[in-house]
Amino acid sequence: MRGPTALFPLSLTATSVAHAQCGRAVRRMRSAGAAMAGSVRAVARRFLSEYGGGTAGRLKALDAFLLYVLLTGALQFGYCLGVGTFPFNSFLSGFISAVGSFILGVCLRIQINPQNKGEFQGISPERAFADFLFANTILHLVVINFVG
Amino acid sequence: MPKGAAPCVPGPRLRLEAAFSFLLLLAGVQALVPSHRLAARDLARLRAVLERPFTDVRTAYYSIVGLSSLGVRVADEKAACKFIKSHVDSSSVESLFYAAQAMQVLSGCEVTISNETRELLLAAVSEDSSVTQIFHAVGALSGFGLPLASQEALSALTARLSKEESVLATIQALETASYLSQQADLSSIVEEIEDLVARLDDLGGVYLQFEEGIETTALFVAAAYKLSDHVGTEPAIKEDQVIQLMNAIFSKKNFETLSEAFSVARAAGSLSQNHFHLPIVVVPDGPAAVSHHQPVLRLQVTNVMSQILTQVSVKLDQAKSVSSKATVLQQLPFTLSGDFFELNFMNVKPASGYYDFSISVDGDKRFIANKVELKVKVSTEVGITNVDLSTVDKDQSIAPKTTRVAYPAKAKGSFTADSHQNFALSFQLIDVNSGAELTPHQTFVRLHNQKTGQEVVFVAEPDSKNVYKFELDTSERKTEFDSASGTYTLYLIIGDATLENPILWNVADVVITFPEEDAPSTVQSKNLFVPKPEIQHLFREPEKRPPTVVSNTFTALVLSPLLLLLILWFKIGANISNFSFAPSTIVFHMGHAAMLGLMYVYWTQLNMFQTLKYLAILGGITFLAGNRMLAQKAVKRTH
Repeated sequence: MRGPTALFPLSLTATSVAHAQCGRAVRRMRSAGAAMAGSVRAVARRFLSEYGGGTAGRLKALDAFLLYVLLTGALQFGYCLGVGTFPFNSFLSGFISAVGSFILGVCLRIQINPQNKGEFQGISPERAFADFLFANTILHLVVINFVG
Repeated sequence: MPKGAAPCVPGPRLRLEAAFSFLLLLAGVQALVPSHRLAARDLARLRAVLERPFTDVRTAYYSIVGLSSLGVRVADEKAACKFIKSHVDSSSVESLFYAAQAMQVLSGCEVTISNETRELLLAAVSEDSSVTQIFHAVGALSGFGLPLASQEALSALTARLSKEESVLATIQALETASYLSQQADLSSIVEEIEDLVARLDDLGGVYLQFEEGIETTALFVAAAYKLSDHVGTEPAIKEDQVIQLMNAIFSKKNFETLSEAFSVARAAGSLSQNHFHLPIVVVPDGPAAVSHHQPVLRLQVTNVMSQILTQVSVKLDQAKSVSSKATVLQQLPFTLSGDFFELNFMNVKPASGYYDFSISVDGDKRFIANKVELKVKVSTEVGITNVDLSTVDKDQSIAPKTTRVAYPAKAKGSFTADSHQNFALSFQLIDVNSGAELTPHQTFVRLHNQKTGQEVVFVAEPDSKNVYKFELDTSERKTEFDSASGTYTLYLIIGDATLENPILWNVADVVITFPEEDAPSTVQSKNLFVPKPEIQHLFREPEKRPPTVVSNTFTALVLSPLLLLLILWFKIGANISNFSFAPSTIVFHMGHAAMLGLMYVYWTQLNMFQTLKYLAILGGITFLAGNRMLAQKAVKRTH
């Protein structure tokens, strides 16, 4: 009698085949995700190693400064969102100081990067630094005027 | 001018006459009427000023000649004559002029003039003397009756006048010419009158005077008429201008100086006695009002000096009602009785009100301002009839109860007005004498609360049949009464300018009841002058601030990245091992630190200007030092 009994091992086989296929797909996805997560981690690690090796110490110091300014600005903004804008002029002056310093720092970093030398023929690093100091003086003069 | 009844279709001749009379009426309406004159009081004041005792020849001249212009003689002529003779200064032309003119007025005052005096006077009449001197000399010679060469005097005068253009000089020239003989050709001087008239200032169309003042204007009038009478030609002054001059001169009621009083007296004299223009004034006796008790309108006709004229004829040209514009009377002469001209206006039984009378005065060709408009009031007595008081039921289920009251009795019993019934009053006002219906200006119904002293006044309005009605509806009128219920006395107040018997009549008592829920507990009189509730000043609320803990936490939090920065720098290996102790480096860093310090000081103490000043100094130093330092660094780098 080859009826249902014959079908039974067939169905079993099909199921097991399906099961196997299903499991393989899941495993592939998980490994892809793991690979993705892993690849993000790899990218980050790669970036950090390249950064640590490839950038001059001066630039790294400057980057640390920029990070500091960024955090300060973000914290100020967070405070304002959380607690309220009073006094508004003080918040604005602090925030503008952070943003302005960040921008000027970025400009300085671009200008003193030896890899960009081709684009800044007439501006030596010392000149860039002097400009940075001058611009900061004016910015902070306005900031102090406004902080109240 | 025959005015008679105009036919329905006027022929060409009658149309022309109608047009001419219309124009004349228009002219009469627009013609100027004197607004000022020398009334009896003003005359007394003027005389009082002129009758003051003399102090010298000049004041004597003013007083004597001024009083004679008014037609008044000096009290003691002999004493006056002696005074002048003793005070005259024979060496002064002016003094001689005053003396001569004064003595001419006084009767029986003669003096002999020495030859020297005569020579002096004759010598003064020349082209070298001023117009005033010529005037005084000619006047003195004429006053003393001494012979005078008129032609020479005239030529000297005209020559002098062409050089002196002042108004006063011209006026004196006019008067000088009036002393000269008529055979001399005085026309050139007479023309000066016209020139002077052109120099007068018109003030509002009512007054005409010189800018030099009333005195000059009065002297001009006197001199102009004196000269015109002397030469016999009418002066070139129009009628309206004469009236305007009259208004200006006699508007002055108080005289500050004797010369001013003198000039006004002479002007009054000349305007009441010259040969050409006589302004007249029509004065009603008391107010211009007639009534049944006083049916006669009495008028007086006077000249500018309030001298009564009776040799004239006064005629009423037209009497028109102001309200209906209908002509009530035409062409009726006034009758003379004593000093007054009378007309019995009540004969035509006019309705009460105001009437415009056009009156004309004739009798002398010289009269000016002899067409006068007068507003006459006709008063009457009012009677109240058909006074019905009723209470009308609001639902109109019960017929209204009407009580008739006769003035001046009071209605017996009281009437009620409450939420069910209204109180109504109706009456008629008639003219007692003619029986016509009247609509006076004031028809008030006054309700007076006996207890609280409140009073509310309403106006009773007439309907189309001239029956006055007043209805009191308690629900409509509660705001006026302040919902105060009680017994109110009802008064009827009737009044008008043309009523001789205004009425205040206590008609009845009305008990007014207002619905209870609206009644206030007590009716207080609204006292406006109690202190009002005090206003507390609300200071500006300070902004909501977060608690100090929160802000302190966040301050610490914000400073934490600095810590992170130092750690990072340490980790990176940033150091200051490359620090060179060159002077420029030290100066640069000191300068930069000072700038940062300045920022702090700016925050706490300074203002922008001071900061900029310090910043300029510090910045300059830092810049120079920094420049040097960075240059050295650059040199070090490229090597």
